[in-house]
Amino acid sequence: MTEKPAAPPANSVDPRLLEVLVCPVTHGPLDYDRKAQELVSRKARLAYPIRDGVPIMLPEEARKL
Amino acid sequence: MSSAPPLLFDRRLHRRRLDRAAASIGTADFLRVRAAADIVERLEGIMRSFPLAVDLGARDGAIARALASSAVRERIGLLVEADLSPAMLATRGGPRVAADEEHLPFAPRSLDLVVSALALHWTNDLPGALSQIRLSLKPDGLFIGAILGGGTLAELRWALTQAEVEISGGAGPRISPFAGNFDAASLLQRAGFALPVSDLDTVTVRYAHPLRLLQDLRAMGETNVLAERARRPISRAVLARTCELYLERYGDAEGRAPATFEIITLTGWAPDASQPQPLKPGSAKTRLADALKTVEFRAGDKP
Repeated sequence: MTEKPAAPPANSVDPRLLEVLVCPVTHGPLDYDRKAQELVSRKARLAYPIRDGVPIMLPEEARKL
Repeated sequence: MSSAPPLLFDRRLHRRRLDRAAASIGTADFLRVRAAADIVERLEGIMRSFPLAVDLGARDGAIARALASSAVRERIGLLVEADLSPAMLATRGGPRVAADEEHLPFAPRSLDLVVSALALHWTNDLPGALSQIRLSLKPDGLFIGAILGGGTLAELRWALTQAEVEISGGAGPRISPFAGNFDAASLLQRAGFALPVSDLDTVTVRYAHPLRLLQDLRAMGETNVLAERARRPISRAVLARTCELYLERYGDAEGRAPATFEIITLTGWAPDASQPQPLKPGSAKTRLADALKTVEFRAGDKP
């Protein structure tokens, strides 16, 4: 099978979605940790996981920092 | 004592119900399919493009499917499916985000369109959720959301209460309170939406038996998550009596059990200077009496 070179991997988050996501607790900005697949809210001290390309923006699922 | 309003719904339990329903929702999705088709029809009448849209409470993707067969899809850039239940989202492809309708994770003024088919009636603070939606919309961004209205499941509510009173000597809250259509438009206004509209679609579904209705509610993940719900499950005797009363009072000629669902569809726009604005009081240039071709009397004067 041939794929278009520009096609992102299946489990990556669409950058247009990433751009508008904020922390649901503080409404502050998030840092994208590509390696850990986490979205980090420094203010809330929470790291939201990204599972199979789906950001899980639920505080109960986040890792406490 | 805290002054916070009491929580109606147990959101964690609601999430667990949705997670559990992820596999079965397709078997009982007729209401959401209907609400989604209606939302898409409304979008067809609005000649705009929406670069970034969010479906709040996407469940098994009824809105995406309704859009797929509509010309509106071409006017939507990215459609993000959001749901409280990660298990529900796992059944979908495409851009998704797990999000709580009570704590939205979207930046202010970032979205062009928010749609929602039958999810927001489970929020503890519907005005608050609507405010958050409005804040996440760009100026002149559009919200169309369907929720269940006050007449929903009136038959079941009556039969269950009656049966519990008869058998247990008292009744606990088993069915959610829903918003009335009259409240709905004012809710939109309170949440800061411009040009708010709400309308009502009453759907009667005829079930072969009341138990089939309960089956459907479970499959949809729509069963009771009231925080103050009666903790003990409904006894077999109460359930049997509920079915009896239901059919006695509401059963049709063929012995089927009609169930009412009220779908309230809310439409509102994030305010923008380009929208029609009301004039300031006293700024009229024409007298109402002239327009009505009548004679004006001063207040207090008797004709």
